[in-house]
Amino acid sequence: MQLFKYPYLVQNEILDNMKFSDLFMFSFVSKRMKKLIESSSQMQRFKIINAIKYDHLDEGTFVCIPVHGFPDNVIQIAERDDTENDYFQLNVPGKMIDFRISYEDNKYLPVASYQPDERETLVASIHDYLLDFFGDSVEYYWHAHDYETPIPHLQNLIACLELNTSEDILDMENLENFISLSPVLKSIDMYISNVTAPFSQGSKFYQTEYIQTCQEEPNLPDILHHFQGRQASVEIVRYNIGHVIEFVNAWKSGEAFDKLEHIIIEIILGRYRENEILHAIGAKHIDSAKKPPTHVLPKVYRDMAFDKDPNTDPITSYTYVVRETDNRMASVLVQGRRFDFGVWDKTEEEFLRMME
Amino acid sequence: MSSTEQGTSSAAPAEPTTAPESAAAPEVPESFYYVHGKDKVVHKVSAGALQHSALIHGMISNLGYTEEQAKANPFPFENIDGDILQMVVDWCNQHKGKPTPPEDTNLPKQKEKLFDLVLAVNYLEIKELLTYCCKQVAMMVKGKSPEEIREIWMIPTDAEDEAAEKEAKKRAGKEAAGETAAAAGDAK
Repeated sequence: MQLFKYPYLVQNEILDNMKFSDLFMFSFVSKRMKKLIESSSQMQRFKIINAIKYDHLDEGTFVCIPVHGFPDNVIQIAERDDTENDYFQLNVPGKMIDFRISYEDNKYLPVASYQPDERETLVASIHDYLLDFFGDSVEYYWHAHDYETPIPHLQNLIACLELNTSEDILDMENLENFISLSPVLKSIDMYISNVTAPFSQGSKFYQTEYIQTCQEEPNLPDILHHFQGRQASVEIVRYNIGHVIEFVNAWKSGEAFDKLEHIIIEIILGRYRENEILHAIGAKHIDSAKKPPTHVLPKVYRDMAFDKDPNTDPITSYTYVVRETDNRMASVLVQGRRFDFGVWDKTEEEFLRMME
Repeated sequence: MSSTEQGTSSAAPAEPTTAPESAAAPEVPESFYYVHGKDKVVHKVSAGALQHSALIHGMISNLGYTEEQAKANPFPFENIDGDILQMVVDWCNQHKGKPTPPEDTNLPKQKEKLFDLVLAVNYLEIKELLTYCCKQVAMMVKGKSPEEIREIWMIPTDAEDEAAEKEAKKRAGKEAAGETAAAAGDAK
């Protein structure tokens, strides 16, 4: 059976029925094969998805296509397992890499293997190969699920940290070290019940563009002081009006949060006292006869495999505050356990004109 | 499923027999057409079954043949082996007037048969069957290393591709030189 004897459309139909992991192996068969994939509709499959994710877990790093709900693994990067004897070498430009095909849960997956001291160079080679193959219009995400190995600094790589730990003690020093050695993070999704100390004030943690976190320790609302990113969703255990007032006042004065676009501060125990908060932050009110515009923005970050909604939670509110330095305004909505704060790219006058 | 008979290369094939068609009898008598492959074995196939093939459907849609005319003029598919055409005819009969299932497990497992079937199905433009076949071809390399894929699909190495390209260039150069010489000769 000679594949090249088939008409082009048939070749394409065959490739359409191949899994991404098989296509990846297929691309190593010959230069002509690689060109066939690049010139076929397969590239459209990738373009639709538009992203490749490195999922860094205990058992290795899985390179996958974040198809909604069912991430489709392309390859795994893992330390060499010398109990396996079915390795074969492939020339990933610039480096000969040992591969094997693993079979688990009825799925085959190519595994690129490294000796302990080769990990960084291997990851860089694989990344270069993917960049060359898919181009730089695809977004490349690295999702770390622990803070042992810093995220590599690679071209076009977007760094994300997902940390849900029930460890007795969070190793704050290692976590700080991880963050400082990694590229500035695009997203942190962190649910930690045992934070023993706040991050240092100058930590790169606060430069993260999007932070979603739950802080059970009520005395550490550090994000509300030092956040320098664009969007955040913070859960805190207990209601403390002082934290929210401090936060809003810092924004209003222009002292901090100059990049902030949207934040949700949710309390786990208790409810916000709406009037008390609005009064304390000096909120202004829109005429109740008018219909306030809705604040909504594209999310800075979302997990494409699991999060369908591309936009922030909409805020439609009759109350707002104004920043003194540039007269920009922010919608404020206080309801039950949630405090929503959405910054507009409009001055107060421009905003009010929108309702006329 | 249709039955077949050994035909000859003559225009008038011998009487083919017909296997029972689906239980639901059509109100209007169904028309039949005749096809044969490289082996000249003639297959009698209903117009309903042939609808799967966009090529044949296009050929017969405006013919208005009588039974006799159809029998006397079987469609010749000399580029398709007899056993492959038999598979195609069987598949069309089995799926006549039915929605096609998401998978077909009755496709040949042997590489060369499947290869020929894909070519035939592509030529006859039977879209659903082509999809099944291509899926099956794709399955052959599931979980295989690049070297195994190369063997299964007989893909040349880079070196072989380069050598073939050089050879093709050389041949083209010689042909061009030959044409130039011939043109010069003509001019004299």
